[in-house]
Amino acid sequence: MEQEALRGLKADWAADRRTFPMSWGKAMMWLFILGDAFVFGTFLISYLAARAAATLPWPDTGKVFALHVGGAEVPLLFVFLMTLILMSSGGTMALGVAYGFRGDRKRAALFVGLTALLGAIFVGMQAVEWTNLLREGVRPWANPWGAPQFGASFFMLTGFHGLHVSIGVLYLAIVAVRIARGVYERRGDYGPVEIAGLYWGFVDIVWIFLFTLLYLW
Amino acid sequence: MGGTSAKHAESGLHHAHEPTSFWTKYVFSQDHKVIAIQYTVTALLVGAVGLVFSWLIRLQLGFPGSVSIVQPDSYLQFMTQHGMIMVIYLLTALLLGGFGNYLIPLMIGTRDMAFPFLNMLSYWTYFVSVILLFAAFFVAGGASGAGWTLYPPQSVLEGASPGAGWGVRLLLLSIAVFVASGTMGSLNYITTVLQLRTQGMTLMRLPLSVWGIFVGAVLALLAFPALFVGGVMLLLDSLFGTSFFIPIVNVFGQQLGREGGNPLLFQHLFWYFGHPEVYIVILPAMGLVSDILANHARKPIFGYRAMVWALLAIGGISFVVWAHHMFVSGMNPYFGFWFAAATVVIAIPSAVKTYNWLLTLWRGNLRFPTPMLFAIGFVSTFVAGGLTGLFLGNVIADVPLHDTYFVVGHFHLVMGVSAIFAILAGIYHWFPKAVGRMYNETLGKVHFWVTFVGAYLIFFPMYWMGFMGLPRRYFSFAAVETLPPSVQGLNVLMTVAALAVGAAQLLFVFNMIWSALRGKRAEGNPWGATTLEWQTPTTPPPHGNWGPELPVVHRWAYDYSLPGAPRDFVPQTEPEPQPAAAAKAAKAAKSEPQPEEGSGA
Amino acid sequence: MQGPALAIVIVLLVAAAVGVTVLGIWWLPPLASNWGAIDMMLVITLVITGIAFVAVHAVIAYFVVRYRRARAKRAEFIPDNPKLEKLLIGVTALGIVILLAPGLFVYSRFIQPPPDPLVVEVLGQQWAWGYRLPGADGELGRADPELFAQNPFGVDTSDPKAGDDVLVFPGSPLHLPVGRPVLFKIRAKDVLHSVYVREFRVKMDAVPGLLTQVWFVPEKTGTFELLCAELCGIGHFNMKSSIVVESEAEFQDWLRRQTTVSQAFVPAQD
Ligand code: HEM
Ligand SMILES: [Cu+2]
Ligand SMILES: [Cu+2]
Repeated sequence: MEQEALRGLKADWAADRRTFPMSWGKAMMWLFILGDAFVFGTFLISYLAARAAATLPWPDTGKVFALHVGGAEVPLLFVFLMTLILMSSGGTMALGVAYGFRGDRKRAALFVGLTALLGAIFVGMQAVEWTNLLREGVRPWANPWGAPQFGASFFMLTGFHGLHVSIGVLYLAIVAVRIARGVYERRGDYGPVEIAGLYWGFVDIVWIFLFTLLYLW
Repeated sequence: MGGTSAKHAESGLHHAHEPTSFWTKYVFSQDHKVIAIQYTVTALLVGAVGLVFSWLIRLQLGFPGSVSIVQPDSYLQFMTQHGMIMVIYLLTALLLGGFGNYLIPLMIGTRDMAFPFLNMLSYWTYFVSVILLFAAFFVAGGASGAGWTLYPPQSVLEGASPGAGWGVRLLLLSIAVFVASGTMGSLNYITTVLQLRTQGMTLMRLPLSVWGIFVGAVLALLAFPALFVGGVMLLLDSLFGTSFFIPIVNVFGQQLGREGGNPLLFQHLFWYFGHPEVYIVILPAMGLVSDILANHARKPIFGYRAMVWALLAIGGISFVVWAHHMFVSGMNPYFGFWFAAATVVIAIPSAVKTYNWLLTLWRGNLRFPTPMLFAIGFVSTFVAGGLTGLFLGNVIADVPLHDTYFVVGHFHLVMGVSAIFAILAGIYHWFPKAVGRMYNETLGKVHFWVTFVGAYLIFFPMYWMGFMGLPRRYFSFAAVETLPPSVQGLNVLMTVAALAVGAAQLLFVFNMIWSALRGKRAEGNPWGATTLEWQTPTTPPPHGNWGPELPVVHRWAYDYSLPGAPRDFVPQTEPEPQPAAAAKAAKAAKSEPQPEEGSGA
Repeated sequence: MQGPALAIVIVLLVAAAVGVTVLGIWWLPPLASNWGAIDMMLVITLVITGIAFVAVHAVIAYFVVRYRRARAKRAEFIPDNPKLEKLLIGVTALGIVILLAPGLFVYSRFIQPPPDPLVVEVLGQQWAWGYRLPGADGELGRADPELFAQNPFGVDTSDPKAGDDVLVFPGSPLHLPVGRPVLFKIRAKDVLHSVYVREFRVKMDAVPGLLTQVWFVPEKTGTFELLCAELCGIGHFNMKSSIVVESEAEFQDWLRRQTTVSQAFVPAQD
């Protein structure tokens, strides 16, 4: 029984033509995500290792990333908003893809465009956060509160992720325009929108890890 | 999932796009065959520079002081760039970018790579990385001399090693660009192998060349990230004064304002990439050699399934052995137990491959054109180099040998010479297909004999030097007082052999150029080979590779000397013999009484 | 004729390789420490890999002659032979276990220093070696990389244990007593270096920011070279030092004549 299932699995995989029942582009996006996950994974592990090796105390992230609201210090408020925005952009993207498959050109374009906008807002907020930190004296090589690896890791990780978001904004904007122009409708295939959605979903998920390891801990 | 429509759109793609202008045909070409040749020629040219550097190194070691441009600092620079060029810009680029591009679409029966534009981009990105690599020679302080491993702190502390300023920065930039290029390439190769195989080409019917390149590409996709991350962090340490890898240090009495970095972290990152890297190079090489041996032995490759599983096993295990390069690095010594055990386990699949190559020759009908000689040479040097890995992997035996010439001999034989032999075998073997003319056999044989004997003379004595304890990366051994004078004799021998081997490569270059212009016209299938690339409608294959119809595959890639067959090879495109097919059809008819769909027409 | 020619060349190369190795012209320098077990491992490994090396090449040489086209008519169709393959895998696995097991056993001794060794601090810097030995109190004083700014050994001169520490400045030889276990505690000032004494069969990297160690028992008197085995810049090939192994009495006598920390550096004022 088990053997048969195993043989079936092997036969499916070894079949001619296509190992995975999907378009080439989608297969490649999955592979890219796998590779990129290794990049982010390695970055995060390196960050943890650098943090473990640091000889000076690690700054208290709750204080560093606090926002002053009417005189009170609310830890992590700003980054919480950023996270919220990025997560909702994941939702709008899912809607965009779904409308695409339903053939609703207008709504698909709208939601993908909205996703790009939210992404752009996220990048903008990141720029604000960087500026604030720089103003407070955080540099890649030093900061006022302790281990220099803090600033180095922070700028490196958020910078690299921000680069992904920025590229994603450009990518989604192009896709939105192409949807609006009816490129996919004419082709009868909204697959490329789904592929863009995969990328965006990946960038979202990576942020959860960054957020947890960089801000919360 | 929209499969059929996409399929039609995708496979019809290339007919429409026959390039016409010179630029789109030869320079910014999207044809995998042209890109393959671009990759191959570029990599060989870069490799020639690496080869010249090796002469300078060898001249200094054999005849100290004989070349005035080789000084203690420039020696390290030549050595570093030699290693970097050979491993990354020659072997990796040529095996994946050159052979991967040429062979994958032809061997699996498709018209091109899945993403021809990405493919072109991959080549030109590689080209940019080469420019950056060479640009580093011309900046103040020159190229990096920190060893190809680029260990911090010295690689990025200005004053601590030659080229620690812009030299190493440009090198790191070049590496990052190379990683981008290699990733684009790998994504393409993997997708193509998984999704674009022609009808009948199941995974277990793929020629081993494709398997080797495929697994190599997967390793590249998953190992390059560590090099990229390590490189970026090192670049930040150099450019922005961060302290990822640099603790408090005091260089020539000067306390540098660094704090709390960990030099070993870089070593882990580097070797997490570095060990799989040697398999990125050697697995494709193994694949090529398997196909060439089977063809010229006129025998099926022995134990095809075992060969495939061995490739996968080596690829998998290669990710959990990296710290065998760090046994005496100061890491937690208890790691040594695991990394030693995992490392020597790799010897088993590697041995399986060796046995199966030998058993492929067994009871064969061997002929010895140049590619066959180089393929057998590969088996020999792979064994000569691979066995000594059992010293270096077995942690305690590594202690006296680590960072001595024993290591230099080991990796040159097992991955340097072997991979070069596989590449040369492959170039000779597929030259008639790629160019449409035969190479000159006599020149090829001379090339082989000098290179084969020379390689042993250069690299085998390094084992003895390693036992004697000569450290590697030494500009001169004059300061080591307790060496027997005969060591210098060995060094002279090795240098003379290196120069001879270098000269023999000129024969190869001449042979290739002359034969491409003047060689005898080649038939479509001069080696009597079974695989698809030899069944193309014209030679060299046209744009789009096949005529109006894609080939259909009916059998595995190794039906050599099949009993009962009229010739001693049966191409993969040949249907099963009539009686068997008829019997099968009859059986199918019996179990399924309804008339087949469309049979009435 | 390529088949027989290849066979002859392979036989000659292998004969030369094995012959010269066995003659032992170029071999390990004579052992001068307790690590005979390492030599033993090298010899076992050499024998096993040597047998495999000769066997593989003998098979190649035989096959290329026996099965060359001139003789054989048509190849035999032998796609595989599971029994033979399993047998070969079994033999290989056995060979590997024979190598690995004793190797790990020796290694576990290698990483566990014996009790009460003579502790010697080895300090690598571009491009020389310095040493620090405990004085009368038998203990080394505190050291910290921060303190390289104050003195070249980075010793905490205010630590009461440090004052009597014996310093061997770069360029001077280190003396060791014969027959007593020695534990090198290794530091680096600037970049990576590696402590390598060929006759002792020991090697361990010196890493800035980290304390590494390696132990051995010098068992022969004489002078040995300590080389740097990790690339450390342009002076790497010149970075060596001498180790003089002598009797306990001679060693004590030498130790007494060396400079101590309190003689060399003015203690830091608090
Ligand atoms: C005729 C061909 C070659 C000769 C004569 C040669 C010679 C040498 C020598 C003598 C060294 C050691 C220098 C030293 O430690 O002081 C060296 C280093 C090296 N070689 Fe080659 N080599 C050749 C081809 C190759 C090839 C094909 C590869 C590809 C794997 C390669 C990879 C390396 C690497 C990675 C290093 C280490 C560089 C370092 O220590 O940072 N070499 N070569
Ligand atoms: Cu390795
Ligand atoms: Cu050194």
